[in-house]
Amino acid sequence: MVPSSYDRFMAVLNGKPEDIDRIPCVNTTSVATIGFMEAFDAYWPAAHHDPLKMAKLGSAAHRLCGLDNVSVPFCMTVEAEIFGSVIDFHEGSVRWPSIREFQITESSELVIPEDVSEAGRVPVVVEAIRLLKEEFDGVVPVNAYMAPPFTSISSYVVDSISFLKWLRRSPETVHEFCEATIDTYVEIANLYAEAGADVITLHEMGASTDIISPTHFDEFVKPYLSEINRQVKTPTVLNICGSTMAILESMMDCGASAIAVDERTPIQGARNLVDAKEPGYPIIGNIPAYDVIHTGPVERIGEAVDGAITEGVDIVAPGCDFWLETPTDNIGVFVDAVVKHGKA
Amino acid sequence: MSESKRERLFKKLIEAVDLGDEGLAAEGANEALAEGVPPYDAIIHGLAEGMKIVGNKYERKEYFLPDMLLSADAMYAGLNILTPHIPKDESRSKGKIILGVVEGDVHDIGKNIVKVMLTASGYEVIDLGRDVPTPEFIEKAKSEGAQVIAMSTLMTPTLMSMQDVEDGLDKEGMKGKVRTIIGGGSVSEEWRERIGSDAYGKDATEAVSKIKTLIDNIIAAAESMKEEDGSS
Repeated sequence: MVPSSYDRFMAVLNGKPEDIDRIPCVNTTSVATIGFMEAFDAYWPAAHHDPLKMAKLGSAAHRLCGLDNVSVPFCMTVEAEIFGSVIDFHEGSVRWPSIREFQITESSELVIPEDVSEAGRVPVVVEAIRLLKEEFDGVVPVNAYMAPPFTSISSYVVDSISFLKWLRRSPETVHEFCEATIDTYVEIANLYAEAGADVITLHEMGASTDIISPTHFDEFVKPYLSEINRQVKTPTVLNICGSTMAILESMMDCGASAIAVDERTPIQGARNLVDAKEPGYPIIGNIPAYDVIHTGPVERIGEAVDGAITEGVDIVAPGCDFWLETPTDNIGVFVDAVVKHGKA
Repeated sequence: MSESKRERLFKKLIEAVDLGDEGLAAEGANEALAEGVPPYDAIIHGLAEGMKIVGNKYERKEYFLPDMLLSADAMYAGLNILTPHIPKDESRSKGKIILGVVEGDVHDIGKNIVKVMLTASGYEVIDLGRDVPTPEFIEKAKSEGAQVIAMSTLMTPTLMSMQDVEDGLDKEGMKGKVRTIIGGGSVSEEWRERIGSDAYGKDATEAVSKIKTLIDNIIAAAESMKEEDGSS
């Protein structure tokens, strides 16, 4: 019997890549594109608030292009909104949700919800996961991603500049923010897991060494990621776009089932470093979402996929969110390339 | 004042910026004024030199964004004390730059560093902040008579806004008159080529040197036109 998308992805995350027929092709971050919104009448910003539209958009890349997973939500502000950030959803246009003005300057101003299951858009994401699980249970893995404490707080709760200065000037303030919120992040992840998410992805895009030092990663990022991974019941993926060579080992220490990187982390070098610490630990990556998948052409997508597999990824994925304007055909070509080049 | 004393003062300012120590930068700036060191020299050989060192360390991954930000603060602490004492003719700007993070993006750390370095190099910077709507870049460039529009974005989803500014300039017949430079985490040389921007700065140091070239070229072109007019 041919293994399902679920079998492929879960086998790799559970450390049994020998059980599958080919390398899986997934995207554990945002799978939304304008083409998919058109195809399923699931436009932003409605798809951020309507579970049915969210589920449709989150499964479009699987339905139309054969991607080996479905994924929700499409936004890094779900958590920040709960803690009191005011989100601009850009009503009437398709644009990434953003924070208009940062109002929180100290941890005492954070809103910590009593009941996380009713907070902000958590019920929407939970319902979307439930719908996806109902349809795809055991056939296509359901991924839910979230912004973990460091990225969420440094980019979407507090003004980034103040926050990054605190890393040196006032490290205790950084820890105060993370400690005040960590239980909520864990609860969100577990609510997603209980609703049926097969994989939880921690999308820590604000913690690459393009932004902070490896020492600061160990001090301010690792402890909180480790805590989430300790408490979450599903396999997890730690995704960091940006340069990560200097923190790969620390990323492994965080205890996720796999790490995901983008094109700024060369796979050959990463493979060697990772294998020296734990042979075969899964690496997901690292096809450029814009420069290759969006722009094409077909041959270039094929070459990039082939290159990543040859260099040693265990799962092929774009380095980050799909580019919103990427043509649906290009995503189809991307998945087909993995089907072709990824045979065991 | 002796040469060695001047050098010691510059060194102090460099160190203050390198360490990101605002207090030390202010102290060094005040000492420079008290000792009669020309403020412009203190900025160029002290604060700006310090920022250059910090920029190099950032490039070599010895320093990271938090370090850059604290160094920028130290530099501003010194600049705020020294700038008001620069004699009028020396403080005349070498060029005017409209600077901002494009619409949809609120990450403005890199942009702020570019601003510090441009200011220290003697340019007038009109900072539009972050999440700047496309028409604002164009209107400001027009009303201020700026030579350069500098745009940045960290995130890929907002790259298209740069294209919108280029298209807007084209529509207004300003393309080629006002030069553009783009930068930021998700920007590349390929992207610059695609949208037809005039330059791409891969980091703050490169952005500043390319902006300088853009402005020098504009000035040179204007002068050669003047010469041609004279000969005819």
